[in-house]
Order: sequence, then structure tokens, then C-alpha cells
Amino acid sequence: MWRLELVPVGALPPTVLFELRDDLESCLHHEVHLAASALDPGPAFDLERRQYLATELMCQLLEPPPEPCERRIAVAAVDLFLPVFTHVFGTAQLGGHVGVASLYRLRPEYAGAPQDVGRMRERLAKEVLHELGHTFGLVHCHQPWCVMAASRLPEHVDLKDLWFCDSCARSLALPGNCVQPTSHLTTRRRPRCETR
Amino acid sequence: MNDTVPQLLIVDDELHVRESLSHWFAEDGYDVVTADSAKQALALLGRRSFDIVITDIRMPGMDGLELQRRILEVDPDLAIIVITAYASVSTAVQALKKGAYDYLAKPFDPEDLTRVVEKAWEKQRLRKENIVLKERLKGDGPRLIVGDSPDMVQVMELVGSVAPTETTVLIRGESGTGKELVARLIHTRSPRAFGPMVAVNCGALPDGILESELFGHEKGAFTGASAMRKGKLELADGGTLFLDEIGEIPPKVQVELLRALEDKKVTRLGGSHEIQVDFRIVCATNSDLEDAVNEGRFREDLFYRINVFVIQIPPLRDRPGDILPIADHYVRTFSGAMGRQVTGFSPEAEKLMTSYSWPGNVRELANAIERALVVCRGTTIDLEHLPISGHIPGPGESEIEDRVSLDAMEHHHIERILQRTGFNVSQTARLLGIDRATLYNKMRKYGIERTE
Repeated sequence: MWRLELVPVGALPPTVLFELRDDLESCLHHEVHLAASALDPGPAFDLERRQYLATELMCQLLEPPPEPCERRIAVAAVDLFLPVFTHVFGTAQLGGHVGVASLYRLRPEYAGAPQDVGRMRERLAKEVLHELGHTFGLVHCHQPWCVMAASRLPEHVDLKDLWFCDSCARSLALPGNCVQPTSHLTTRRRPRCETR
Repeated sequence: MNDTVPQLLIVDDELHVRESLSHWFAEDGYDVVTADSAKQALALLGRRSFDIVITDIRMPGMDGLELQRRILEVDPDLAIIVITAYASVSTAVQALKKGAYDYLAKPFDPEDLTRVVEKAWEKQRLRKENIVLKERLKGDGPRLIVGDSPDMVQVMELVGSVAPTETTVLIRGESGTGKELVARLIHTRSPRAFGPMVAVNCGALPDGILESELFGHEKGAFTGASAMRKGKLELADGGTLFLDEIGEIPPKVQVELLRALEDKKVTRLGGSHEIQVDFRIVCATNSDLEDAVNEGRFREDLFYRINVFVIQIPPLRDRPGDILPIADHYVRTFSGAMGRQVTGFSPEAEKLMTSYSWPGNVRELANAIERALVVCRGTTIDLEHLPISGHIPGPGESEIEDRVSLDAMEHHHIERILQRTGFNVSQTARLLGIDRATLYNKMRKYGIERTE
């Protein structure tokens, strides 16, 4: 049994973390834990770029947690970057243990759209599930509805389901699109259930 | 080289840049290798192939522009994307003018990076596909194999059995019997049908050129090798390699070829690294390979490597029942291509064609029909349109005297046509429907020399 822990970065509103945990538990059918303490975003802050270095946060995540944990995903509300990129929504160790995701650019209001808490919540759950998939060794998927599809823009995230396509699910030994998304999460494509 | 996963080389002296980019592309499923200097990148490029190189411009030692120059000198088709921390338009323009595919200024939007690299990969993929299609077109001719004689039915059954397997096939038969058509049929009915079919006529090329044609060469491998060139074995990756006239391969190349067939690895001339290739072998010969082995002209180990599944194509004279159906097929094919209304043959022309020995086999027959269509003004091909001559046998009369062997007939016929053309070898070869090399071989065999 593997343990998944969500780790807040700095002062993340607790409701964001609680809702994210509920969403992930609903789709994964797996217990999701919340870390007792938050990561300090200070060392990751780049004064010149006024952004936070994602790999620095991942280094903090790799420090041994109080309780043994196979997967740790940091959740941030700050703007993340990697040295050559203007920004990233998140990143993870491919086939590793840790990842980080940020809701900063996933908020509809970031692109000038009206505030939409539901949409932001849905995007964040997909982004965290995407980074979790990378930690299990999954690479980007070419099925646009698969949660492992690459998302270069927030709108790309909206095109995805909150689940893996059959092929990616098979790689993870998870059921395909049988898992129904939670009621408040809208999906572009209705999940197909197969009779087993 | 893998055609489905892009091979990426990232060159940057900064570790965090290399790590960020390799991590990013690994998530996209790319095969990524990094180098911390231009020197290391050149060493890597000498050992293996890449589709795209992403290089920083400012690096200690050799800079990105010099690296780009050296890479393009060796492989002008490689897609190079330059990145720079200084959004200097002049440097970027300089790189683009010297052949870079595109440039990006650090830090760049992930969306821009993905777009540029995907476009570069698409270009590389199309370029590779284009090479393969050109190779395929080069050898394309009429694809239909006509003939329902028992011998040809058996040939088709053998093709049907062996095509779906990976077994090496040796096609034997006289010149002009359609060995390449059979090879193409095997390819198109095999699971490799969507891969390339690369044909090499081993008898048509001098030793040095054949070696370079088969294995490719690196830039500067010999005088005139101004750029790297992939060999036919490499181009056949994922498909079928057809080696025609395999008996004509010189001993030195036989050794290299055997090694490549055994290991499925090739090393370009002047190169030092082995390239993994995956192809199926189909060979053809019109010579007696067993004799060549006994005389030491052909390696025994190579013979056993290729003599796995043999398909013998009978000469046209042994299946006279196929002559008219094949002739009809070519009349339809060439009439369509030339816009003629020719529909068939006169009874005399049919008689002549069926009694003629066709030493050049189907190729000679096809050439004869094409020539007849050029000169025929009506709708029926008659005796005078056919570029063959002979005695039309009457009822119960055999054209060939029993005491005359086929070799003697061939000897006599070649001599006669040579005399008719004033010993013009090209014209004679054309009339006989065989290539010049085959004609020279036959002239040598029969000791035919020009008499002044």
C-alpha cells in the first residue's frame, strides 16, 4: 500500500487542500494524507524573476518526512518556474517520489477571465493527478482527454478528464475510465464503463 | 535510428538548463542526451545519430555558432535550435542565416519550446519519409506478375508462404524474368509493407562505390565525400533490403556484408560507431552461386546465410503459355501510357512471339511490345512492328532443331543481333531486352568479339 501526501507550500488556504484531497480520494479510491507542516517557499524565491524555483521545492520534499511516504506532492499558490522557462504549472520526478503543482496560473482570473472557484479546483486536481502520474513513470499522453496529456495553457487542462486514458491506466494497473468523477467536477467526455 | 521517438541532443554548459530541458522532454517521451560542451556534443554526434540538436550559443571554449557550423558541415539536414540568454536579434539572425532551424531566447514560454521542437521533429520525420518514398519510387515499375502456368502458380504460392515471415529469400532466375517484381511482392505482402523497400543492383556498381552505397559514409571518408551519406542498409531500416545480382559482389564487400547481415549493425565508411538496423533480406541472382562458391569467388558462409528459402523463376521459353497473357498485359499498360488505341496482335505476330525463345525474358518481351506500340499506326500489332525475327513454324514443325542447345541458340542470336546493329552494344542490349553488363557477360561467355 503506497502512501500519498499533499504538502502545502507556504500559506495555502486550507480549503484548497481539503477540497483537493476529497477530489483525489474520490477518483483514486485511495487515502490521501495532508502533511502536518508546510514547505518554506523562501529559499525557492528568485528575487530577479519574482518567481519560485520548482526544483528547490522538490529538493525540500525529498527530505525525509516524519512519516514514511512513497509519494509527496507539494501544492503551491505561488508562480513556479524552471531556469529556462518563463513558468511551469508543475513538475515532478519522472519515476520518482515527489512533484509540485501550482494553482497560480490555473486561476481563470490570471488570464483576465472572471473568477471561477470551481474551474480552478478542477484544474488543480487534474494538475496534481498529472504530476502524480509522472512519479509513477508515465510520460505525456497523446490522448487529449487523458490527464497525462501535456498542458501548455490552462485551457488545455480543461480539455482533460480527471482520470487516465485506458492505455495509461493499464500502465499503472488502474481501472480505465470506469471511475466516475466526483459530482461537482464536470468532464468534457463522459467516462465509458466496461462490464467486467 | 528510431522513427517514432525523436532523438534529442541538448548542449549547454549550465547544469540546471540541461537538467530542466532533459526533464521536460523526457516527460514528453523524447529520447534525450545532454552534453556540457560543444566538444562533448561533437563526440556524441560522431557515435550516434540525432534528429534535433538544441544548443546554447554562449559557452566557454567552442560556442554554439561554431558547433552549428561543424554539425551542418557533416550533416546538413540536422535540425538545430539555438538558445541564448541574451535576446540578441543579431546573434539569432546570424545563426538562422547559417542554417539553424529556429532560435529561442531564455527564458522561454514552455508553449514556444514545444511548438518549435514539434515543428522541427515534423520536418525531420517528413524528410526521412521523403527519402524512403523516393527509394520506393525509384524501383517502381508494373507491379503485376502475369502468368498462370503451373511454374508461375508455384512461384506465387511460395511468395504467399514466405512473405509474412522474416525468412531470408533467394530469388533465382535468368536476367529479365522479374526477380525484382517478386521481391517487391514479398515486401508488399509482408508485415514490413509500410517500411521502405530498398533495392541495390550489386552488379551495376564498381567495388568502391558499392561499398559506400551499401554502408554509407561519413564526411571526408574519401575524396569527394563532402557530406555524410546514409547507406542502403541504413535506409532499409524497418523494411526490406533487396540485393540484386548478389553473385557479383566483390570478396571484400562480401565480408562486410556478411557481418552486417549477422549483427544487423552497420558502420559507415570512415565512421567509428555501429548503427543498429532492422531489415529483412531478399536477394536475387542469375548466376550459379554454387559454382561461384566452388571456385572461391563467393564466400560459402555468405552463401549459406542467404540460401535459406529459394524461389526459382522459370525463363519465359519454359512457359510459352504465359507469353501472350504477358504481351496482352503490356499492350494494355503501354497503350494507356502512350494514348494509343492498340488492342491486340495479328495471328502471325502471336505465332512469332510464342515461337521466339525470348533470351531476355519478360524484360525483352516488354521492350518489344513498347517498341511495337511506337511504330504501330493501326489497332493491331503485326509482324513488322515486332523487333524480333525468326522463322514462323508451320503446323507440326519445330523451330528448334533437336541437336541445337539453348546456349548455342543464344550465342547465335546474340551474334546475329550484334551484326545487325554493327556491333553497337547499347542498341543490341536494348533489342535483346537485357542490360549492357549482362550482354558483356554473355559475349565473354560465348567468346564473341568484334571482327573488323
